[in-house]
Amino acid sequence: MNTVATSLLVLLGLLVGAYAIAVLQQLVLSGPRQVVAAFQLPIAQTLLLLRQEDVLPAGADFFLFRSAPFIALAVVALTALVLPLGPNIIGFDPSIGLFYFLVLLSPFVVAMMNAGWSQNSKVGLFSTFRAAAYLISYEVPIGFAAIGPVMAAQSLSTERIVQSQAGLWYVVWQPLGLIIYLFAALFVTFRHPFDSAMAGSELEGGVLAEYSGPRLLLFKVALNAIFLLLMGMGVVLFFGGWQGPWLPAPLWLVLKTFALAALVLWATRFVPRLRPDQILSLSWKILLPASLVNITLVGILTLLLTGGNR
Amino acid sequence: MTGNVKPATTKHLGWFAQLMQHPHPYFALDGGSGAHLFAALSRQSPYARQVYSPRHADLLIVVEPISHKLVPSVQETARTLARPAHVLLVGSPDRGKLDHFSGLDLARVEDLLPDALHLPSPTVEAVLEAVLAPEHWPELALSQQGEPEPILIQLPHRQEQEIAPELAVLSLGPIQPLTAGPLRLYLICDGEQVFSTQVEAGYAHRGIAEAMRQTDWQQALVLARYLDPLAPIASQLAYVQAIEYLQRWQPPAPLTALREAAVALERAQNHLWWLLRFAQVLTDTQLIDRAYDLASTLAEQIAGLWCQSPSKWILPQYVIATAIANTPPSAPLQQLASRIDALKSAVARNRLLALRTRGIGTLETDRLKDAGVSGPVLLASERESGDVQSRILTRLEAASRDTQAVTGALESKERMVAHAATWNVPAGEAHAAVEGPRGVIGLHIASSGGEKAVNVQWQRPSAVLLPLLPQMLNDQKLADAEVIVASLDLAMEEADG
Repeated sequence: MNTVATSLLVLLGLLVGAYAIAVLQQLVLSGPRQVVAAFQLPIAQTLLLLRQEDVLPAGADFFLFRSAPFIALAVVALTALVLPLGPNIIGFDPSIGLFYFLVLLSPFVVAMMNAGWSQNSKVGLFSTFRAAAYLISYEVPIGFAAIGPVMAAQSLSTERIVQSQAGLWYVVWQPLGLIIYLFAALFVTFRHPFDSAMAGSELEGGVLAEYSGPRLLLFKVALNAIFLLLMGMGVVLFFGGWQGPWLPAPLWLVLKTFALAALVLWATRFVPRLRPDQILSLSWKILLPASLVNITLVGILTLLLTGGNR
Repeated sequence: MTGNVKPATTKHLGWFAQLMQHPHPYFALDGGSGAHLFAALSRQSPYARQVYSPRHADLLIVVEPISHKLVPSVQETARTLARPAHVLLVGSPDRGKLDHFSGLDLARVEDLLPDALHLPSPTVEAVLEAVLAPEHWPELALSQQGEPEPILIQLPHRQEQEIAPELAVLSLGPIQPLTAGPLRLYLICDGEQVFSTQVEAGYAHRGIAEAMRQTDWQQALVLARYLDPLAPIASQLAYVQAIEYLQRWQPPAPLTALREAAVALERAQNHLWWLLRFAQVLTDTQLIDRAYDLASTLAEQIAGLWCQSPSKWILPQYVIATAIANTPPSAPLQQLASRIDALKSAVARNRLLALRTRGIGTLETDRLKDAGVSGPVLLASERESGDVQSRILTRLEAASRDTQAVTGALESKERMVAHAATWNVPAGEAHAAVEGPRGVIGLHIASSGGEKAVNVQWQRPSAVLLPLLPQMLNDQKLADAEVIVASLDLAMEEADG
């Protein structure tokens, strides 16, 4: 019973979170900005997509095409379980929570690749190859960026990482790790400017080009939710998670998460969409060496701050 | 259609009405004259949002004219829409007149898509009002899912393929957001690298020159304006000047200045709307915002500038007593020029934008001159490096210069003696050239002294760029190839004639 209730709560939380990210996008990103419209549009678009035809393109791989949005959403729901909303408010808290989170990001990208591959179209094929290239490119930097907080907290448990920031948030002495993490988070969520696998003007929508109706809605929910979760994990790793004065713990986490999400979305306004090879260069030539430097620095600082013991 | 749009809709809904408003993700199908309309529409209402796959749309907006060659693509796009879906057919302002010309190669979209809602007025306000209207439209009927005919193209020979063992052909278009109007590109790719390019134009061909030969001098003016619907004043002026050369009539200096001012403002407007479309291709939100701000401000100022539209008074030997409205906005135009200069400086400094625009799409100046290229593409090559970034800077510089240059003509107090238009054209041959937004629009006409021209030949600046596309795109990255095409500002109705 407890498991069922937790699952339902997680799904509900993800839906509300995906809605909130959609509102944030309307307010921060391009287009005419109207406050009422920003809150109303995601609901109206949901209703529109729910009653729209669910098209299966000719020659598409039936199983992969139909299952891809469900896989994406399922992966998102599973990753949400290890995000701690407060002390003991967590779906489940394995000792390798962060590792579990990072590993489960890969099937999300695989679901996107399935979506592109199964369409039986050229744009789908091109975008699948782009997504595959990103899959390898984001994993290494995001893993190395997350090692910093793990080293400092000496634990892979997400709750433990938050508790270890009681005195000082890791962002203060690991800003480089945060920057690398945010870049990689934008990679994995196919966000602008790393969205060439879903590029509208280039590839007619890329991996999602042939999706319509409810399945397109599932993808949109999954994409918004995974972005929210990565921002939430960013807060857990670098901004002290739920910790803060006066307000209840979960509210602190939500506030910090949306502040970080708004900041990241706002920053992407100033960048044009990057080319696939530029994205890969950024990953392998800049983020990877920078993440190694970050690990070295964090190691030295951890020794200095804690003397190697906790 | 010509970009003469107000910056925002005057219709303000209450909050409850807004809550009841339905969003409309639309797929834009531009027959060739809707580029400015779609650029402005994308920024008008959050409820009307452009999408790039017809599967994601519930509305197809088709802007006429549609040539017969484009008809299969229109039908296929309508078939691709997920149901329930609707079609809005936006007419051309001159459609009523154009229907009289038998020589034009135009399809009747009403017959192709009988369920479409037809909108004769091509203004942003009218389109927005129709899109957001609460009334239910007729839904697009379910069509038979026929398989489109396969397209066969000639691949490069095996010996030319070198290290490219497996090539993929990506057909881009004919409906794509990179050009103003339809153009099909076959990008033969080796992975993300464009190995070879084939260009298929003619999707916006109407046969303007042929139709002009079949009609009298006065009616041919409508067709001349129609050569480039995004720059109708420049095309019309070329035609009028050619007739005046034949008539051996020299316009008075103030009239010449006014005509040049009208064309200069049209050029500036085109450059700014192009920048908005280009920024949308790159998804550079900040540039989109600034370009829209400038383009809509200029459109607003032009709308209040003339007593009568220049198309009404740019006629052979016609001298208008007063063309300018009472308060010529010289100061606001100067301010706008300063803002354009500021944007140019910002673009030049923007290293992030340079990541996508610097060092790509270059071609030697001599090669461009040999091909007959003129306008911003050639200027960018002569003054700067000739890459995509220099095309942006050149166009912004031109827009600023044109906006500033018109103030002298607008503030002139010199009154002219009115003179009626004269349509008697003596025998002879004449060539007129006008600097349009995309280069020199030239017109060569021959008259036998009769009621019709015996020969009409247009010099079309976009047309000469098409054969150069393979040279520019080959060996480029796929993503860069698309940016290069967008940077050329190809107007396909003008290119296809």
